[in-house]
Amino acid sequence: MNPTVPELLIGSLVAMSEPPEAEATGDFAAGRMGVLGLISFLCAQEAETGAAVRHAENDAIRALFAVAAREEWARELAGELRPLAEGQDRDFTLTGLDAANADLRRVLIRLQTVVEQSGHPDRERRILALLLEHARARSLKLPGQL
Amino acid sequence: MSLADRLSAYLSDLQQEVVAVEQLSRIPGGASRETYKFDAVTRAGRRGMILRRDPPDSLIDTDRRLEYLAYQSFHPLGIPTPEPIALEEGTEALDRPFFLMSRVDGGAAASPFAPDPYGPHAPAIGEQFFTILGRIAAADPSTLPLGQTAERPAPNECWRRELGHWERELDKDELFPQPIARAAARWLRLHQPPPAQKISVVHGDYRSGNFMHDGEGRILAILDWEMCHLGDPLEDLAWAIDPLWCHFETDRVSGMLPRDEAVGLWERASGLTVDPNALDWWQMFNSFKGLVIWISAAKAYRDGGGRDPVLGFSGWYTARRHDVIIAERLLAMLDRAA
Repeated sequence: MNPTVPELLIGSLVAMSEPPEAEATGDFAAGRMGVLGLISFLCAQEAETGAAVRHAENDAIRALFAVAAREEWARELAGELRPLAEGQDRDFTLTGLDAANADLRRVLIRLQTVVEQSGHPDRERRILALLLEHARARSLKLPGQL
Repeated sequence: MSLADRLSAYLSDLQQEVVAVEQLSRIPGGASRETYKFDAVTRAGRRGMILRRDPPDSLIDTDRRLEYLAYQSFHPLGIPTPEPIALEEGTEALDRPFFLMSRVDGGAAASPFAPDPYGPHAPAIGEQFFTILGRIAAADPSTLPLGQTAERPAPNECWRRELGHWERELDKDELFPQPIARAAARWLRLHQPPPAQKISVVHGDYRSGNFMHDGEGRILAILDWEMCHLGDPLEDLAWAIDPLWCHFETDRVSGMLPRDEAVGLWERASGLTVDPNALDWWQMFNSFKGLVIWISAAKAYRDGGGRDPVLGFSGWYTARRHDVIIAERLLAMLDRAA
């Protein structure tokens, strides 16, 4: 996912390291520091749960692909669904899990498109429910919401 | 020369008198333009002004001329907006194009993610907020400076033009596969809305947080017209009531009023009737548009080496909020169809 935790933390360092322009002190600098603090707060959540959330998401998509391959939801994707369904995460860094997730998502988008055109609302609902579950799992909480 | 000195030289030339620029300082917000406040001091007195300058990089590429013309269009009509002062599209004066407008003092804009930002004044703010939006929708663009310049789509082309624009932005800026955004785009293509009842000025970012209020229940100025265009007035209404701008509330839109009440105020002020199916389409569209903006923010953040934390926050936290909103809506629409 973009931006990644390393990008955000390194970006925060860069943003704090650069001296502000003369006109960009005061309210602007205070607002900027507030956003940087918020990013740190959210990064803490992502560092704590991000790997588990991604690993669970990847496994859930693989399980869906297994069902889709077995029940022939999309014959044109059968050659891609089966090997992906049998895969597993091996790199448990956020970057590694994201890379696997991106490969799965690309095929998921194509599968969902085929399913929408095939007149199977139950399958469509199953994919949407999965997407919603994953989106909720990735949600971040602002201060005061935890 | 400092920015203040250069601004002073520009204003002195513009007004044909010596204008000193004092207390120039950048203010937060305004992700698409750099925004500064300052005092312009002449022998006649002191006037608070705002400078909106094109940034080196922007969250969204917008037309500063249209934004300026929006202020020129609605300030004389009594819509609370800053008074436009000057538009400079060259780069000689301040390196980048900019415009100047009057500063509205004595108020503040709410943070879009603050809980209950209007407190006991929420109903009064809401009544003004949706009535003003209805008045913008009611205005005849052909009589406005903005209407002389902005492209005027045919009523049945509004949705197609807007959707096409944001689909192209998604294609351009998608760094990571986005199944929810793609599903929304397909839904929008499949479920076309009816033609616009009329062509109106669309503010483009009319929402809680983009206006100043005095803290006592009065709206002082509608701001941030940088995405204004002509189109279907339901586009603005749907953006205003998007769940992202509801301050985490489910029973009041924009953290102000129950949804039906807000829509009723808008209908009375605009003279238009809301087709629920059309509003559904524009709500899905606006959530999609929002998500694409955040996806573009993520790309701009990476391209800019992470220097702008607002882009990072938007491309991350806010994108995830809209992912949930859209997935919930897609599921609800599927259930409704069944």
